[in-house]
Amino acid sequence: MLRTEEMEINMGPQHPSTHGVLRLILHLDGETIAGMRPVIGYLHRGVEKLSEHRTYAMIEPLTDRLDYVAAVSENFGWCGAVERLMGVTPPPRAEYLRVVLAELQRIASHLLWLGTHALDLGAMTVFFYTFREREMILDLFEAFCGARLTTNSMRIGGFLEDAPRDWLARVRHFLKIFPGRMKEYEDLLTKNRIFVGRTLGVGVLSAQDAIAYGVSGPPLRASGVSYDVRKATPYSAYPEFEFDIPVGKNGDTYDRYLVRMEELRQSCRIIGQALDRMPDGEVRAKVPKYIKPPQGEVYHAVESPRGEQGFYVISEGGEMPYRVRFRAPSFANLQALETMCRGRLVADVVAVIGSIDIVLGDCDR
Amino acid sequence: MAEETGPPPPAAAPPLPLAAEALKEALGDRLLEVKPQTVPPIVRLAPGALIEGLTLLRDRPELRFDFLSSVTAVHWPKRERPFDVVYHLYSTTRRLRLAVKIDLAEGEEAPTACGLWPAANWHEREVFDLFGIRFAGHPDMTRILMPDDWVGHPLRKEYPLEGHPRDHLQYREVGTAEHVYNYGKAPIRGFGWKKEVEKTGVGRG
Repeated sequence: MLRTEEMEINMGPQHPSTHGVLRLILHLDGETIAGMRPVIGYLHRGVEKLSEHRTYAMIEPLTDRLDYVAAVSENFGWCGAVERLMGVTPPPRAEYLRVVLAELQRIASHLLWLGTHALDLGAMTVFFYTFREREMILDLFEAFCGARLTTNSMRIGGFLEDAPRDWLARVRHFLKIFPGRMKEYEDLLTKNRIFVGRTLGVGVLSAQDAIAYGVSGPPLRASGVSYDVRKATPYSAYPEFEFDIPVGKNGDTYDRYLVRMEELRQSCRIIGQALDRMPDGEVRAKVPKYIKPPQGEVYHAVESPRGEQGFYVISEGGEMPYRVRFRAPSFANLQALETMCRGRLVADVVAVIGSIDIVLGDCDR
Repeated sequence: MAEETGPPPPAAAPPLPLAAEALKEALGDRLLEVKPQTVPPIVRLAPGALIEGLTLLRDRPELRFDFLSSVTAVHWPKRERPFDVVYHLYSTTRRLRLAVKIDLAEGEEAPTACGLWPAANWHEREVFDLFGIRFAGHPDMTRILMPDDWVGHPLRKEYPLEGHPRDHLQYREVGTAEHVYNYGKAPIRGFGWKKEVEKTGVGRG
């Protein structure tokens, strides 16, 4: 008679499919997950501490480095939080440009997710296809501000500069070709027998669990809860656009895929409306040279590609914030990983981690 | 795939008066303060009334603050009770936000909210890690972002931003990898090392 007992093994922090420096201590019963303890903090850079010693403008480049695959969303949230604290409203053109950039960023981030997620599940071609289009978006960012990833293009009160000449036409060109490219991804995956087999019914998260664990973003919506910060507590110019919030039914890995694919379409829809109605005029509101918000505090949330990205800023009236807290969607979403994986196989862990789309820079701050 | 297109359900009544009234009724003078003007509105509770208050906010059908966005803390070293613990709540049905605050003395434990939301687990670990506030009844009160053997709590105001690691690190002695764990104790050359090398000739590669 063979002796059987639970085995404890490490997955990560260098495992390629943990998407960064995430370490999972797995408790295995045979090949079944009996328990799991995620270990994070390998990428902790103390950004919250640093922020207490920087001026408001100097913190913005730090926010780029939090969620480094969605830097625009972080800038957007940070500027929005400080503007709300100061009572400044950026001019309409700036708000529209911000929305265009943020939605392009959402597409770029979802494309990165789609490529790597499919790669984890053995579909390599998708990776090359999605990176082709992601590259186009990064080129657009480069044309806009000179940087591809850590864009830091926004300023408190709007933008430093207007979009370069022809930039909006280039965005329109991207919108024209993107739906055709999306069809290519869907042809490769949506009815792909291996992909469906690896994802359908895998890593199910019920709506109650998702809410209880504070999961937000596409994983929450795939579980059937229609919470999107853009609609729930609208900010910037989002109330002026028409778009739908896709929600799933089963809360499994396949639904999370479907939700993100639909979000790509909705992002295109928002960008199209923003381009059609792009207002003219200034791109920066009048803000004092030294930004000193009045005493007070604000919790400003934006919908980053990963979920509710919150910025809790406390000002004591000085030129540096008294306390800054970044509510990281990856941090909250990762907590639900054990619930999603328990009772599944080790190979499913890879699929589930991919489907919640964590960025460890965001998670560890 | 179902798609949600309709506008958000309208709020039946202004959020804060409702929440404040319910809390006032249940907690009496343990509801210390209501700030309706901030974004989001803030209610301050006595630490002993926290769990009761959060349970009420979560479960009352007309409130339903069922989503715990974040738990964090703020250090006010000059105050008599120097710590604030802040809970940011969101209602997925009514689409409202609310912040709940309690204050704590140095060394005082906060009650854990893990029983109400499993989400509180990591957030409270983070508060413990970075501020040193313990949560009574927490199932796993360990560090989460800093290494397990870190000394000190970095987000306290008296914790320095800069300095030599050896002033802050006290690595455990581990027999198998001592050279790694003793890293912080070895002298590290500062920015002047190049000059020193030129002067003394020691340390040239």
